[in-house]
Amino acid sequence: MGNLIVRRTAQMLLIMLTVSLLLFAIFDSDQFRKKVAVAELGGFGVATLSDADYQDWLQKKGLNQPFLPRYGEWLKNVAHGDLGRSLEKDVAVSTLLKESLANTGILAFFVFLIMIPLALGLGVLAGMNEGSPLDRIISFVAVLTTSIPQIATAVLLTVALALGLGWVPTKSAMTDGWSFRELVLPLATLLFYDVGYIVRMTRAAMAEVMTSQYIRTAVLKGLPYRRVILRHALRNALIVPVTLIFLELNGLLSQVVVIEVFFQYGGFGRMLYDAANFGDIQVLQAATLVAVCVAVASQLLSDAAYVLLNPRVRFT
Amino acid sequence: MSRREFIRCAALLGVTAGAAYAMAGMAAPAMAGNMLPFPAAEPGAKRGGRLRIGEMVARMDDPATYNWNEMANQTRPMLEYLTMVGADNIVRPMLIESWLPSADLKTWILHVRNGVMWHNGEELNAEHVAWNIRRWSDPALGSSNLGLSTFAALTEFTGDKDSKGRALRRPLKNGVEVLDSRTVRLNLAKPVLSVAEDCGEFCTLVVHPSFKAPLSRNPIGTGPYTLAELRVNDRCILKRITKTTDGKDFHYWGGEVYLDEIHFYHYEQENQTAALASGSVDAIYEVSVDQIELAQSIPGAQLLSVETAQTLCCRMQVDVKPFDDIRVRRALVKAADNAAIKRLVFGAYGLVANNFHVAPVHPEYFPLPPVVRDVAGARQLLKEAGYPKGIDVAIVVGNNDGPWQQAACEALRDQVKDAGINLAVNVVPATKFWEIWTKVPFGATSWAHRPLGTMALAQAYRSGASWNESHFSDPEFDKALSDAEASIDVGVRKAKMQRVEKILQDAAVMVQPFWRPVFILASGKVHGYKAHPARQMQLNKVWMG
Repeated sequence: MGNLIVRRTAQMLLIMLTVSLLLFAIFDSDQFRKKVAVAELGGFGVATLSDADYQDWLQKKGLNQPFLPRYGEWLKNVAHGDLGRSLEKDVAVSTLLKESLANTGILAFFVFLIMIPLALGLGVLAGMNEGSPLDRIISFVAVLTTSIPQIATAVLLTVALALGLGWVPTKSAMTDGWSFRELVLPLATLLFYDVGYIVRMTRAAMAEVMTSQYIRTAVLKGLPYRRVILRHALRNALIVPVTLIFLELNGLLSQVVVIEVFFQYGGFGRMLYDAANFGDIQVLQAATLVAVCVAVASQLLSDAAYVLLNPRVRFT
Repeated sequence: MSRREFIRCAALLGVTAGAAYAMAGMAAPAMAGNMLPFPAAEPGAKRGGRLRIGEMVARMDDPATYNWNEMANQTRPMLEYLTMVGADNIVRPMLIESWLPSADLKTWILHVRNGVMWHNGEELNAEHVAWNIRRWSDPALGSSNLGLSTFAALTEFTGDKDSKGRALRRPLKNGVEVLDSRTVRLNLAKPVLSVAEDCGEFCTLVVHPSFKAPLSRNPIGTGPYTLAELRVNDRCILKRITKTTDGKDFHYWGGEVYLDEIHFYHYEQENQTAALASGSVDAIYEVSVDQIELAQSIPGAQLLSVETAQTLCCRMQVDVKPFDDIRVRRALVKAADNAAIKRLVFGAYGLVANNFHVAPVHPEYFPLPPVVRDVAGARQLLKEAGYPKGIDVAIVVGNNDGPWQQAACEALRDQVKDAGINLAVNVVPATKFWEIWTKVPFGATSWAHRPLGTMALAQAYRSGASWNESHFSDPEFDKALSDAEASIDVGVRKAKMQRVEKILQDAAVMVQPFWRPVFILASGKVHGYKAHPARQMQLNKVWMG
């Protein structure tokens, strides 16, 4: 296991290095510099600048340093824990990152808190009784919720819960401080899809296990049904869903872009969206590092869970 | 001369707007005393409270290089203009007390208002004003103010060109002169009619000479509020200023102000109405036309609107094939039904435009006969131009002011099809659009509101003007426009505009279907919140009931 962690960490650093170099290379173009200038001064403003004045402006913003020294300096700063300053928001990137990750973390926490028991429970119930009316109902609902795009779910839930019933506010900007009521809509939208997905996976795994010969043997041996399910079936059936749940951690990070932008929730996804729109390179770089980190970490966790649940697999 | 024109004309000659309204015998919007640009307090107006506004919360870097209206909205309660264009499209003196043009409109004297206090305790003087005007005219700043006639006329061409072949400019020597501590004289390179209006445009907020960008770090202004917190794309909190930074009691020159705090909360355009519906904000920046019904269904909310000179110009470059043939341009114009496009996009709201870019809300608007759709005529013109089987063209649209722009282009596409013109609508991202807007042969550009009809014409249709996206160039037009611009008397100018408008309309440079209305929304608690044709929020007299 220790070996695995070391290997994965090394991989992660390599990916981070490559991705950041790629991003820097993409942003080291005249086109990108123009985009930043247009974002800062406006198209009209940039058009009034003569070539020399435009170059001066780039100089002032530190945008026209040569590629390698700039990248080198950035690497050095990151190694010292300095992620730079947001061009658009005039705050340290680390502050921005901390706040937005905390917000997305809260959202993710509630997603998992509700999703894990709900999805596993329903999935096991459905898989246990494959073909039963209960299975049919659960499967139908799960297919339905996973087949609606999240942006449509977001609109539907807003119309129903906020504009129609007036139970919750339409947006989650948290203008008057943190409130759980404002978290309900983004949470529900994320759960809508994610629960359905995990339910379907759990159901499939459970159904497969239920048809295996050792379960039949256990039942025929006269063991109580309850015991067959809890002791014999569950452990094998949960291998796939549990690893998937860990991978969802990473999936969530990309899903939140749509959700957070739609509901105006100040998390990681919105920070990424704002930065991409403005061309806020320091923020984009930092966000990419975090995304790579989460991706690798979630894979590592998922592998670890797999090993723990499945005695047939051992990483050396 | 209508009463409205008389009022503006009188104001130009230094008569205060309040007095001018009185002379016109018109029910003037009550003014807060003779010398102030703000509307008078409503009876029963209450002090205190906070106003929560939903708009995009933007960065506040350098007011002279602002490129979003929202930036200016966040700043306007802190920093002020030399003049103020009111919700009625009439300009009034603000940080200057009055202005006086010379007969040839090349020399303007600005009298700086007495008793205006900066947030740092200093008093506003002529040096401060001159410093700001010089800054706005500096070609190295990258400010869109250089597109305004006044500040362009404070620069001259050096005779050199940069590597891209653009002529270089430098500030005029002695363009801005300080006569004494209260008086500034502008010595312009050419006659300018719109000095007062230009000084109230959204990038001309007056900063203290100690200013260093970003403004959000150390905002020193003359307005009644100061910045308490700015989080871009999240919130901007403004609070009443009571003490100057040097410890004196702050005295605001502009009379009573009601709100204790103004909060801007970030909501994207399409989310603002919904945010107001659930009570998260008290007022919003703008209601887009597709949300009018939603807005009307909110109990107690006030939906307010104003007609503007904001528009969409589907303009063709007159020197690029196939639009270099006027018959092709005329065919396109003839095949379009401006009134129908307006109806499709804005329903009963907005005004039909007639392809010459002067709006009914402009004081010098001369109504020309409306353009009439003539599909057969359009076909005939195409045939004469050598396209008997029709023609394929493409229009580029950026939706930078909202999806209504694309809707208008699509309506145009369906109409010109009848005349054998296959119009493809190419939608590009808004940011991309501002990189290419002057380069595309056929493009739909949204033009902002300008208080005077001559302003957009000078920027967009005069030969060689910086924003002349259609490459239209006609010495007759230039002469007629200069002639109109030299007439400070609105009645005379209006008569001269007939020729100006007619030349532009006959040249078939654009299909300009409508003048778009602006809608705003506020809850029932908010009083004195007004729709402004240039979408400037003016909150001095707003109060919470």
